[in-house]
Amino acid sequence: MYEIFSNWVAAFFTLCVFSFLYKDNPFYKFAEYLFVGVTAGYAIPLTYNMAFIPYVYQPIVLQHRWELLVPAAMGFLYVFTLSRKWNWLSRYPIAFGMGSVGMSVPLAMHAGVLVQMRGAMIPIQDINTFLVFIGTITILLYFYFSKAHTGLYGKVVRVGIWFMMVGFGASFGYTVMARISLLIGRIQFLIADVLGIIK
Amino acid sequence: MDKNNNIFQKIQQLDRRYIYIILAVAIILPLIFPYNSKTYTTKPAENIYRMIDSFAPVFPEGATEEEKDAIAMAHDKAVMLAFWHDASTMSELFPMELSIIRHCFERRIKFFTFTIFATSAPIIDMAINEVKKSDPEKYGNKKSGEDYVNFGYKVSSLLLPIIFGMGEDISDAMDIDAEGRKVSSLPIMTNIKNYNDMNLVIDFSASSAGTYWIYYARPRFGVNVAVGVTAVMAADTYPQLQTGQFIGMLAGMKGAAEYEKLVDVFASTQREFSSEILRNEAEPIISGDTNLPYPFRQARIGMNAQSIAHILIIVFILIGNVGFFVQKHLQKNDN
Repeated sequence: MYEIFSNWVAAFFTLCVFSFLYKDNPFYKFAEYLFVGVTAGYAIPLTYNMAFIPYVYQPIVLQHRWELLVPAAMGFLYVFTLSRKWNWLSRYPIAFGMGSVGMSVPLAMHAGVLVQMRGAMIPIQDINTFLVFIGTITILLYFYFSKAHTGLYGKVVRVGIWFMMVGFGASFGYTVMARISLLIGRIQFLIADVLGIIK
Repeated sequence: MDKNNNIFQKIQQLDRRYIYIILAVAIILPLIFPYNSKTYTTKPAENIYRMIDSFAPVFPEGATEEEKDAIAMAHDKAVMLAFWHDASTMSELFPMELSIIRHCFERRIKFFTFTIFATSAPIIDMAINEVKKSDPEKYGNKKSGEDYVNFGYKVSSLLLPIIFGMGEDISDAMDIDAEGRKVSSLPIMTNIKNYNDMNLVIDFSASSAGTYWIYYARPRFGVNVAVGVTAVMAADTYPQLQTGQFIGMLAGMKGAAEYEKLVDVFASTQREFSSEILRNEAEPIISGDTNLPYPFRQARIGMNAQSIAHILIIVFILIGNVGFFVQKHLQKNDN
């Protein structure tokens, strides 16, 4: 019974959102605002139960691990973002958080740059590696802006533009597929879960 | 020909809502009347399947169910499934999650789940329960804490301590599961300590969140990372796939359909992966005379509609372009 009711509620709001395809209307707006409210309302007690209770309340109040008062107090300073007079206090936990960015830099450099560069520096064995080689070189040249894109240089960077266009095309094709998938998912829900037309 | 009153001009001025209706019909019909189409599997999907499969415990010939349970419980391999998405991308990611959970259940592979999205916490429960509910005879007896464990929602600010912590001790890093039980006390943690034992993380997301694992966990602990991403993110993920930082990828509904097929062909029949079988054996039936529950074939049925929608969009693009060039030509002649 509960599942049937929840499915019909979900179906109603799905149709409310779909109604925007005709034109903007109060049903769409109602569904949109309700979604924002429900998401926030759901996240607050969940965070309280899954974060505040196990990581703050239990260790400090029940297990008397007083050293945790320091990070707890630091986190509490975020509350001052709501005060015009005291919001400068909220910058301290932000500054502390920014410190962790320093730790990320070498790791991101390794995985995001060095390993990827190594992957581009492979012997040309087949048509695929040849295309990777040409694509990488010509696109890098395209992004070298200290020389005008004219003459022979302009022709070479044009090849880079073609490679990028193919990349954008692939990306756009995948995006179309993703958007259609979302529609398929909703229609599958309506005809299978709600109406039970397909089992 | 009057340039303002020809068919191409009319098509270009067509109300977009007619296009929506045509597209909706093209999608709804194949979903209501599904047909059996072929699903081609790709290397990135096969790689994930094969790695998960390699984690399966080996049972001696003639072992009883109790003996198999005991061997599976003591097995020192597990998979982590990170559900890092909310309901908005479920249509692409949920079928992948169902298929991988089903694969793990079929091959008695231990798996863990967790999320850093509050709204994803119920999706984990939904996915596990959907698999159990869809085939209660086979999967109804799978127990939380023994066959799998859901670590639940962890606040995102604790993500790095958790990723690094699991390199030392998963029980310490996760501390409690979604049901509030101490992780170290769960039977599933027998012989599972850190990334050496849980050597595969599959991150399901609608973003580049999978890179967290290759930035922080892979270089330091050597953990294998795979991703299940929405199709939008697939093109951005290929560079890491090419360099082997991701061992595999499931891209959108197509990736989910591929994995559904792999589980049907191999895991559900307890066979080892073989390209020969994929090439030569008849395609699993997804419509008509099949006992396969709908959730286990929904991505493949979805791909039927997807194919028709793509053909329709190609036709629209062609008509639009022909119309554009004809109009341009007529305008040129008029001038």
